[in-house]
Amino acid sequence: MTSNTQSEEKKNRKGKKPLVSRKEFLQIAGSTGAATIITQLISSGPLSPEAIKGIGERTHPFAEGESKHTWCMIIDLSTCIGCQYCVWACQATNDVPEDEMRWNIGYPERTESGTDFFMTRPCLHCQEAPCVKVCPVGATWIRKDGIVTMDYNRCIGCRYCQVACPYDVRRFNWKPSSAENPYHPTWGTPEIDRRARGVVEKCTFCSHRIDRGLEQGLTPGVDREATPACVNICPVNARIFGDHNDPDSPLSIFVRENETFRLREDFGTEPKVHYVRPEKEEI
Amino acid sequence: MARFDISIPKESRQRAWWIWIGTLLVLLSIGAMGAIRVFVKGLQVTGLSDQVPWGLWITQDLSSIATGAGAFTFSAVVYLFRIKKYQPIARAAVFVGFIGYSSAMLALALDIGRPDRFWHPLVFWNVHSVLWEITWCVILYSIVLVLELLPMLFETKYFSRWPKLKTYGETIHKASPVFAAIGLVLSLLHQSSLGATYGVLSGRAIWYKPSLPVMFILSAVAGGIAMTLLLTILVGKLNNRQIISRQLQYDISRFAGFAMLAYLYLKLWDWAATSYYSHSPGATQALALLQSTTPYTQTFWWIEILLGGVVPAIILLNPRLRRNDRYSMLALGLIVVGVTMNRWNVTLSGLVAPPQWSPGVLGRVLAASYLPTWNEIIVSIGIIAYALLAFSFGVKYLQIFPQNEEAAH
Repeated sequence: MTSNTQSEEKKNRKGKKPLVSRKEFLQIAGSTGAATIITQLISSGPLSPEAIKGIGERTHPFAEGESKHTWCMIIDLSTCIGCQYCVWACQATNDVPEDEMRWNIGYPERTESGTDFFMTRPCLHCQEAPCVKVCPVGATWIRKDGIVTMDYNRCIGCRYCQVACPYDVRRFNWKPSSAENPYHPTWGTPEIDRRARGVVEKCTFCSHRIDRGLEQGLTPGVDREATPACVNICPVNARIFGDHNDPDSPLSIFVRENETFRLREDFGTEPKVHYVRPEKEEI
Repeated sequence: MARFDISIPKESRQRAWWIWIGTLLVLLSIGAMGAIRVFVKGLQVTGLSDQVPWGLWITQDLSSIATGAGAFTFSAVVYLFRIKKYQPIARAAVFVGFIGYSSAMLALALDIGRPDRFWHPLVFWNVHSVLWEITWCVILYSIVLVLELLPMLFETKYFSRWPKLKTYGETIHKASPVFAAIGLVLSLLHQSSLGATYGVLSGRAIWYKPSLPVMFILSAVAGGIAMTLLLTILVGKLNNRQIISRQLQYDISRFAGFAMLAYLYLKLWDWAATSYYSHSPGATQALALLQSTTPYTQTFWWIEILLGGVVPAIILLNPRLRRNDRYSMLALGLIVVGVTMNRWNVTLSGLVAPPQWSPGVLGRVLAASYLPTWNEIIVSIGIIAYALLAFSFGVKYLQIFPQNEEAAH
């Protein structure tokens, strides 16, 4: 570079107009250099997608390393009788006193061919969860075992996750929740703390049960203590919970042997809740 | 044609000033009381719901940032591209930009559920989130705006007791090209990302398109120029003086017109490609739902496109029309209205017509609804009052405009 500028100076002294003036040369060299550095930074350097991947997730427990498990749920709409026990058990166990705050909702539905059925929907725990991608503080993250969960102490209440979720899964604490839980003790006992005003909350697949159960050597989906409340309470076993990675789990066997579908797969969200069509018996 | 004269006679200026400031202070106080109520009672006092979690305040936030885009536009034009003829309006643009960004922050501070955790995005990073990137850019850019404002502040009588500050101010001012470059990068990033906030959501067909970020930045450039010029002409009219030369005023009007034209061109193709020449079941369903339950057709076609886009573009690009102050002020005002309407339409459309995920037929007719409550409205008015107050004091006590005709050329 020095020799270049020197030769330019020589040309200048001779009085000829140089092809590129020193100022222009420095500008071109400078911007080319800057562009190269920036390209390097964002392609393979410290700002590259690989380098910054999961920067906000690393501080979370369970986000590090690999998990042997992938927790999934099956909801058999052809078996469901619409008793709503799963809805109420969820409200009791996760301490959701208000009905409009339900994590696991249920409502009457009808198929296109006119068959009435009862639709229930917990969080679908998408593998490509839009809510996880959009959270500006990483308060929602996906665990290595596939559960989409939240850090209520980190959430700033911007509600972008609600805007992003296409399944209307998320609930915001618009007001402080001080009401008595009408579903306790009939449908269960609260097992987690109630959330504060101003944060979003969501279904966790009762991850507190799964984590504690695994520590005790139990199998979620088989042992009741380690299984989500909505699955346990179902009187007709319309919900199956288990490890999709374990080929011998009741869930994996069911998925292999039955036809299931997921809600709006075209969204590209890869939900981990699989449904069985309501008309199964009639076909 | 009669001269367009709305100037206030010299003898009643003092009175008019106090009436104006008094009114704004009253509105600001009402808004502040509304804000206190929000902090005490929480967001239950809004009309928002889990289905429509963003509404009036997010619209205000997006519009303030969009109409504050004159700051980066003129800074880049004057200090980076060295088109010196626009210099006389650069200060006003920066000042209007600062007011826009601070208004947006006020709206956001109320809108988030936990304002005490506003700093979390700085500490807890999620680089996958466009909102994280926006937060960083907006904070950094606000710092740039403050630095660009400091020289104006240090020139005032109040600061003359510390003569050193003025020197510092001049030193800062020398770095204007650097600020302009940083400001340009930051603004291009976050103004576009605000559109990407909606554009990246694959689950909502009416939003999910790569054109949204580009439309947001183009409309922000048009809106930012329009807001700055409109206020400049208005202040001049009220004080019966021509703040910037007529030629410069026409040039900037044309500039705004071209920005609007570019935006409309993109919008035309956005509409044609997604709704006319093709068919997307999700978007079609959402539009049908919007048309049957909301005045979306009117707010989109009539207010946003025709009144807020086509009409001002015609006025500002027609040499005869833009030379008429009445028409050009109308056109500039319409651009601001159109851009604000756009932010409202975009925000609400994807939420009020949610994606249909229920596997049956009964769940498919659900549309959400939203109407701002009086509490939301008075807070919004309060924030607008803050913006107008800040602008009025700026005009009176800071040299945001060239002081004499000479400097204006």
